[in-house]
Amino acid sequence: MTHSRLWRQYFTVVAAALPPARGMLPLVILLGAWQLLQTGNSPYFPPPSDWCNGLVLLEKSGRLYPALLATTMTMLLGLAVAVVIGAGVGLLIGVSPRFSRAVGPLLEFLRAIPPPAIVPVAILFMGYDERMKLTVVVIAAIWPILLNTSSAAERIHPLLLDVAHSFRLSAVDRMRLIILPSVVPALLLGIRIALPLTIVVTLLVEILTSVEGIGALMIGAQRNFQSPQVYGLLVLIGLFGLFVNSVFAVFEAILLRRWPPKAQSENF
Amino acid sequence: MDERRFFAGINWPGTAVFVLVGLAWEVVIRSGLLEYEYLPAPSAIGLGLGQLAREGTLAPDIAHTLIAVAIGWTVATAVGIALGFLLGLSPTARRYSLASIEVLRPMPGVAFAPVGLLLFGFSLKTEMVVTILPVLWPVLVNTMGGVSGVHPRLYDVSRTFRLSRKDTILHVILPAAMPPIVVGARISLSLALVLTVVAEMVGNPEGLGYGIVREQQALHPDLMFAYIVTVGFIGIVLNAGMLALAETVFPSSRQLRGPQ
Amino acid sequence: MECRSVTVELPHRFGRKRIIEDISFQVRSGEFLTIVGPSGTGKTTLLRVMGGLTSPASGSVLVHGKELDGPPDNVVIVFQDYSNALLQWRTVAANVAFGIERTLDRTDFEQRVRDALALVGLEKNAEDHPWQLSGGMQQRVQIARALALRPDVMLMDEPFAALDAMTKASMQDELFRVRDRTGTSFVFITHDIEEAVYLGDRIAVLKGSPGRIDQLFEIRLPAPRDQLSTRQLPQFLEFRYAVHQAIGR
Repeated sequence: MTHSRLWRQYFTVVAAALPPARGMLPLVILLGAWQLLQTGNSPYFPPPSDWCNGLVLLEKSGRLYPALLATTMTMLLGLAVAVVIGAGVGLLIGVSPRFSRAVGPLLEFLRAIPPPAIVPVAILFMGYDERMKLTVVVIAAIWPILLNTSSAAERIHPLLLDVAHSFRLSAVDRMRLIILPSVVPALLLGIRIALPLTIVVTLLVEILTSVEGIGALMIGAQRNFQSPQVYGLLVLIGLFGLFVNSVFAVFEAILLRRWPPKAQSENF
Repeated sequence: MDERRFFAGINWPGTAVFVLVGLAWEVVIRSGLLEYEYLPAPSAIGLGLGQLAREGTLAPDIAHTLIAVAIGWTVATAVGIALGFLLGLSPTARRYSLASIEVLRPMPGVAFAPVGLLLFGFSLKTEMVVTILPVLWPVLVNTMGGVSGVHPRLYDVSRTFRLSRKDTILHVILPAAMPPIVVGARISLSLALVLTVVAEMVGNPEGLGYGIVREQQALHPDLMFAYIVTVGFIGIVLNAGMLALAETVFPSSRQLRGPQ
Repeated sequence: MECRSVTVELPHRFGRKRIIEDISFQVRSGEFLTIVGPSGTGKTTLLRVMGGLTSPASGSVLVHGKELDGPPDNVVIVFQDYSNALLQWRTVAANVAFGIERTLDRTDFEQRVRDALALVGLEKNAEDHPWQLSGGMQQRVQIARALALRPDVMLMDEPFAALDAMTKASMQDELFRVRDRTGTSFVFITHDIEEAVYLGDRIAVLKGSPGRIDQLFEIRLPAPRDQLSTRQLPQFLEFRYAVHQAIGR
């Protein structure tokens, strides 16, 4: 597929799924009023136009894109690792009730610890570097993926397993041909839930440790009292999050074309 | 979990594994088998908790965090229910605000920390800046959904009985929308705790969040883990407490309990 | 195919419950054997044993004289719940190929898929997904999947119970067509006594708890059977009455 065709598909799907555009009115009014009311040089509430200037300055200094890239790469890489581990363990749990019972309370305990609390632990163990950032993102993203995968694997209809048995499928074939495809919708849902979590945790690490990324830029701007940049970066993060979520939603919709509509529209 | 099921079906293999892992961890560290500077044995964490309690730092930290959570959650829930009601009742209002909500909702709370610091420096207000907006959304969305999803048949009933608008809202819509509202409030509470802790880690240096970071920087892993365990424990207590409270005061919310 | 003194026990609340006891009968080549009986007498259990999904507590099931060791090669089960027995994410053609894609090479199994689809009249739907099709069509996909294996015996567990009367009738005749073209034997469980008489060369009545074969009827009706005329024949009505009596007693 050429790039332009991909973009066209993306925009069609996104446009169809969006709520009516007039819903943007409150935000537009807020920003507009802010812009109009802030004529002085308030260091605390700079007008939106200043935000743009702040961002442009950052870009010109060459720090914006590398930071954006660093944040994105960490997120994606962390997500990928989380998918592999989370789906793998999730499948094991879902497929074997004994393993599930044995590991259950331990997992419940680990799950109760909020991912942000893991960040200082990781910093202590691993220091201030990219590897630590990645580890934390993986730990945060793993839970929704693992839980969704394991619950879907548990709920595979027993008849499908009968079919596997009566066609004398090997354990490997059964996993490959029946169990794995069955959990794909739930896995995608888990990833969709994990996505905002990875953004949050990545930013948290960057703000806390100033490891390269948008969060680091933000806290740096705050420490230098560059308030337009702080607000500008906030907006950038918002747009970034929206973009990532919509890309994934489109990806998910395309992937789930083969599944019955019920699986496609499973909402949390 | 159902009380009956709890007593009748204690997960023996699972508990055993849990206990065994804890014991193994203890033994491995204590015996020096695994020398890892920053991994304390479970007993050390327990001792750390005791130490913090004795020093008198634990209680004020817990109090600070709980107060921050309480304020943030209460404000967000109040605003969320109010706005949610308005939007739930008026399709026009919804049409003119849904897009804005969808744009604002995914904003990560932690990204507001630098803004909070900018405006309020090191203070409770910074924690509020981080906490209130993200915590608002589950309540608002759930209330909006609950109110707008009230079955049309119930409106017919209220008209048959010629109920005034106020009575309709109080006696028909509110009870019907309670289950999702309560679920939204419960999610918000857990979220408020996490965000408050985050705000204390990167914003206002007080409370449990700051405790975790402080002990990490001071290289006291046992105390750090003690704080983390406390946060986890409080989270469980808050969630369970909210669940119990909600089901006592609003029995109709029991239907939506579902998985936690 | 043959069942010799098959007894099946399954785990129950405080031990094991004997579901069926001392079941013995033979399935002749090319015959249509229907099994009827009140609910809960273990008809499905019997079918699962014959299909190799469950092991008997005592007795044995033989195919071509050999005892079963797991699901046999040339025996296939068609389940009542077609929706959950098919792989909804695969196309119809891919579903039909499911049993043979690992043992035959591509050109071979593609041909068999085409043949099987032709047998059930679904050639045009090869690239659809099961969830896009009606209940009757999905059940036909399952039958095609079974046929693609060229089985000697097809075990069917109330396959048409969830279908409306008209679809049911046309599916019954379709089975006759399949049998005539392929010579497969059918073991067919049903609640519907009329269906049992219409389809069956022999009817086994399963009764009691634990279930036992109460009677075995030989249904001699003129061939080819036809939905309208056969069902009006006096012999048809006599057989129907006899089977009703056998079950009701």
